[in-house]
Amino acid sequence: MPDEHSQTTMAVDELQAIIQRCQILEEADFKGEDFNLFLVAGQKCLEDGYAAQLLEVIQNEKNKVIIKNMGWNLISPLVRCIFTYKEEDDKREHCLRILDQLAQLCNPKELFLGLLEQIEQTSGDQVCQTVMLLLQPLQTVLLKLQNKKAYSVGLSLAMIMNQLTPLPVPYTKQQIQEDKLGLCQCCNAVVDFAKPFVNEVVKNMEKSSEYHDMELKEELLKFCMKSLKYPLLTAQLEQLEGIEEHPFRHFATEIINILWNIRELIPLVFLHHKGKSPPWENQEFADIERKNSADSVACLSYLMFVQHFGIECFPVVFSPSYLLLCNMTHIEVLLKRTEESMLSKGLDLFESSLLRMEDNSLLHDYLEFRDFINVPQDLVKIMTLCPMEHLRKKSLSILQLFIDKFDTEGKYTLFRCLLKTSNHAGVEGYIIKNIKDQIHLSLTKEYDNVWFTGHHLISLLDLVLSLPEGAETDLLQNSDRIMASLNLLRYLVIKDCESDNQTGVWTTLTKIEQNFLKPLRVGLNMSKAHYEAEIKNKKENRKEAHSSNTVCSVTVSGEKMPAMTTGMQLQVLHSALFTFDLIESVLARVEELIEVKIKAVMDENS
Amino acid sequence: MTTDEATKTEGEVQAVALTERGEDITPAQDRGVLKIIKRPGSEDESPMIGDKVYVHYKGKLANGKKFDSSRDRNEPFVFSLGKGQVIKAWDIGVATMKKGEICYLLCKPDYAYGSAGSAPKIPANATLFFEVELLDFKGEDLFEDGGIIRRIKRKGEGYSNPNEGATVEIHLEGFCGGSRFDCKDVKFIVGEGEDHDIPIGIDKALEKMQRGEHCILYLSPRYGFGEAGKPKYGIQANAELVYEVTLKSFEKAKESWEMDTKEKLEQAAVVKEKGTMYFKEGKYLQAVIQYGKIVSWLEMEYGLSEKESKASDSFLLAAFLNLAMCYLKLREYTKAVECCDKALGLDQDNEKGLYRRGEARLLMNEFELAKCDFQKVLEVNPQNKAAKSQISVCQKKTKEHNDRDRRIYANMFTKFAERDAKEAASKTGVERVAEKAACEKGLKTPGAEDEEAEGHV
Repeated sequence: MPDEHSQTTMAVDELQAIIQRCQILEEADFKGEDFNLFLVAGQKCLEDGYAAQLLEVIQNEKNKVIIKNMGWNLISPLVRCIFTYKEEDDKREHCLRILDQLAQLCNPKELFLGLLEQIEQTSGDQVCQTVMLLLQPLQTVLLKLQNKKAYSVGLSLAMIMNQLTPLPVPYTKQQIQEDKLGLCQCCNAVVDFAKPFVNEVVKNMEKSSEYHDMELKEELLKFCMKSLKYPLLTAQLEQLEGIEEHPFRHFATEIINILWNIRELIPLVFLHHKGKSPPWENQEFADIERKNSADSVACLSYLMFVQHFGIECFPVVFSPSYLLLCNMTHIEVLLKRTEESMLSKGLDLFESSLLRMEDNSLLHDYLEFRDFINVPQDLVKIMTLCPMEHLRKKSLSILQLFIDKFDTEGKYTLFRCLLKTSNHAGVEGYIIKNIKDQIHLSLTKEYDNVWFTGHHLISLLDLVLSLPEGAETDLLQNSDRIMASLNLLRYLVIKDCESDNQTGVWTTLTKIEQNFLKPLRVGLNMSKAHYEAEIKNKKENRKEAHSSNTVCSVTVSGEKMPAMTTGMQLQVLHSALFTFDLIESVLARVEELIEVKIKAVMDENS
Repeated sequence: MTTDEATKTEGEVQAVALTERGEDITPAQDRGVLKIIKRPGSEDESPMIGDKVYVHYKGKLANGKKFDSSRDRNEPFVFSLGKGQVIKAWDIGVATMKKGEICYLLCKPDYAYGSAGSAPKIPANATLFFEVELLDFKGEDLFEDGGIIRRIKRKGEGYSNPNEGATVEIHLEGFCGGSRFDCKDVKFIVGEGEDHDIPIGIDKALEKMQRGEHCILYLSPRYGFGEAGKPKYGIQANAELVYEVTLKSFEKAKESWEMDTKEKLEQAAVVKEKGTMYFKEGKYLQAVIQYGKIVSWLEMEYGLSEKESKASDSFLLAAFLNLAMCYLKLREYTKAVECCDKALGLDQDNEKGLYRRGEARLLMNEFELAKCDFQKVLEVNPQNKAAKSQISVCQKKTKEHNDRDRRIYANMFTKFAERDAKEAASKTGVERVAEKAACEKGLKTPGAEDEEAEGHV
C-alpha cells in the first residue's frame, strides 16, 4: 500500500505522465482517451491542492499545444475549486492564474463553449460570483474568436442576463448597500465586459456610414433592451442619500451610453410608438417581441424623462404635449403592473410629463387617443385598489394634475368618462367636487364657459344628480358620491339665481327632483327604517342569547378578520344611521333653499 | 467650428439682429417668433402641413449657451410639420421656409416652453434662438404603407378627427391620369363612402382629417377602386387616383364608452345589416368596418342582464363569423383564424366557425389543423358535404406536400452525393441547395380558391 505522501503526489505524477506522452504527439494525433486522462489527472491535482504544480505545467512552453487543445476541459473543476478556497488563500490565487493562462492559451472556440457551459450550470447564490469570475476570460476569448463573433457575444450576454434574471433585485438602500448576492456589482461588471464590443461597433460606424457591423450592433441592442427590463425596471433608481455611486444608476447610465454610442437611443425613444414592428414572420413572436420591448422602452423613457439620464442627447424642440403623447403608451404599460417599483416609475413618468405642461394647455382632442382615456382609468384603479398608501395618494394627485392640464372641453369629457367608468363612489365624489370647482370658475370668470354652463352642463348634471338604482340604491355604499352631488346642487341653487339661470340648473329642476331628490328621500326613509329595525333586533338578540354565533366573517387581503361581536355590529349600524342623518340634513337644506328661491320668484311675479 | 467665446458673441449679434430686423411671422403679429433668412432656399417650394420635414438645427439660450444641435447627433431631425409635435415657434417658422433655406428664429417663451420650461435644459420663461436648415420634406404617408399620401393645402381646426361611423360633409374632386372623373358635395358616414362611389382610401383618410381641412390625397389602387376598377367613371383596374378633399363638417359617432348597453345592442342590429349588404356586394373592406363596430362595442361590455347578454353574444358570434368570412375573401387568413377562434370561444361547436377556420388553415397550408376542423364540422353535422370534400382536399394536399418535400430532399441528397464524389464540397454550394429548397417551398401559393357555396350569415 502506498503511504499518504506518495498517494497525494500521485496526482501530479499522473499528470506528468500523460503530459509526457502527449508532448511527443502531433496535435492531430491526440485521442479521446488522452483528453480523458488529462482531465482526470488535472482534476485530481486541483482537488488535492496542487494548483501551483498544475500552473507550472500549464505555463511550460513545451506543453503549449497540449494546453491549447485540452486545457478547456479544466474549466469546470477549476471553477469548483476556486469557490472552495477563501479569498486570501494562495491556492486560490494559483487557480485564478490558471484560469487566466487558459484564457490566453486555449483554443478559443472550445474554451468559449466551456466557459458558457459553466455560466449556464451555475444557479442561485453562486450566479453572480461565477459570472464575475468568468467575465474576464470570456472577454479575452471572445476578442480572439475569428468566426461568429457577433453571435457569440450575443449568446454570452443573453446567457448571463438569463442567469441573473431570476435573482431578486435589491430595492431598499440597505439591500443595495449590502448587495447580498452581488447583483449590483455583477451588472456593472457585465457592462464593462460589453464595452470593447461597443467600441468595435462605434469604430465600424465611424469608418463608413454605409457598412455597419449590424449583427454585433443588434446583439448589443438586445442586451440593452434586456437590461432595461431586468434589473432596471425593477430597480430603485432614485438617488439615495449616503450612497455616492448608486450601482443601478451607474448601470443605467452605462446602458444609455451604449445605446447612444450605437445610435439607437433616439430611434428607440420616439420612433417606437409609431408601431415600427420588428421583422418577425411569426405573428406570435412579433407580439412577444413587442411586449418585451414595451417594458424596456417604458423603462428607458423613465430613465430619460424622470431621471434625466441621456437627456443631453435628446432633441429639445418637441412640444410638451407631444412628449406626453409619446410617453402615454409607456405610462400605460407601467400602470398596468402591480409591482411597486413599476407602478411608481409609471406615476413618476406621468407626473414629470404633466409638469412640463402649462395648466389648461392640453387640447381635448388628445382624449381621442385611447391611452388618454385608459390611463386615467388605470389611475383610478390604483387609487382605489393598490395596497400601498403612498401610491394611492400619488395617483390621486396625478389625476388632479391631469385634469388641470386639459382645456375646459377636455375636462368636461374626462369627467363624463370617469363618472361612467370609475365604479367607485369615492372617486365619483371627487370628480363631482371637481365639476363644482369648474362651474365656480366659469361663474366667476368671464372666459370660455360653454362647457360648464348651459346645455352641456345640464347633460353632465343628468349624470351627476341621479341615483344609479333609484330609491333602491345602496346609500351607504354611495354616500361619498351622494354627498358630493348634494353639495354641488346646494352650491348651484345658492350661487345661480333663478332669474339668471346661467348654469341652467333651474330649467332642469323638475328632472333633478324626479331622478334624484325624490328617490333619495324615499331611499333614506327605507334605509333608516331598515337599519333601525336591525339595531332593535340586535339589541333584543343580545338580551336573549349572549352566546350568539357570528353570522358573517370578513376577510381583508386574504386574512380573516376577527369575528365581529354584537357590540361592534351595533357600532357599525349606528355609524350608518349617522351617515343617513348627514345626507338627510344636507338634502333638507337643499330642498329648503329651492323652495325659498322659487317662492321669492313667485312673489316677485305676483 | 468657432470657440465658445466666439459662438457666444456671434449668438448675441444674431439675437440683436433678429430683434431689430427680424420679420414677425406669427399669425397674431405679436412678435413671438422673429425670423431672418441667412441663406435663401434653392427651390421655391415650401413644405405643407403634415409633411415629413428633415432639418438640421442648433438651439441656444439667451445667454448664448447652446442647448441642442442636431449636428452633434450627426443626423437630421425629422418631424411632422404643423401637428403640434414641436414647439409652436417651429411649426410656424419651418412652414415659412423653402427647401435648402437656412434661417434664424428668435422664439418668445409663449411659442416655446413657456413658464413650465423643459427640464433639465430650458429654464422657465426662456427666449430661444435657433438656426434651422430645411434639408427636405415629403408628403405624409398616412398608414406608413405608401398607400395614401396626403398633402394638406389648408389646415383644419383643432385636432379632432371624424371617427369610423361619423357623419361627414365633404367636397371632393377625383382625378385619374390627369383628368377629373368626379366632383361633388356629399354627406355620408365614414366607412360607407362606397355607397356614393367613394373609394375606401377616402374613408380611411377622413379619419385623419380635421374640420375645414383641404388636402390632396394620392391613393394607390389598393385604397382606390382596386382590381375591379370603376366602370361608372371609366376607371381601369389598378389605377392610381388623386383626390382633392375638403372636410366641411362632421359629427362624430359615439365612442364605445359613451353608449349604454341598450344603445349598443340597437346599433349592433343596424350595422350588422349594413355589413351584410356590403358583403353581398363584395365590398369586404367596408363590411369589416361594420362588423368590427359590433366587436368594439360589445366584446368588453360588462354587467349585462341575462337577456342582454344573450343578445350581445348572438351579435358577437355573427360578427366574428362574418368577419372571418370577410378576411377569408381578403386573403387575410391569420385574422380569419383569429375571428373563428373568438366565435368558437362563444360557441365551441359552431359549424360555420369550424368550417371557416378549416378553410383559412387550409389556405395557410396547415393541412393537419384544417383537417381537424373539418372533421369537427362533421361531428357537429354529419350531413355537411362541403366539409367532407374539404377533408379529401386536405389529404390530397398533405400528400402533395409530402411528395414535394421528398423530391426536394431527394434532390438535395443526390446533389450532396455528386458533390462528395467531386470532392469539392464548398459550403456555399450546400447553402445554395438549401436556399433553393426553401424558395420552392415558399413559392407554393394557396391553390385555386374553392368557392364554396356555404350560406353567409
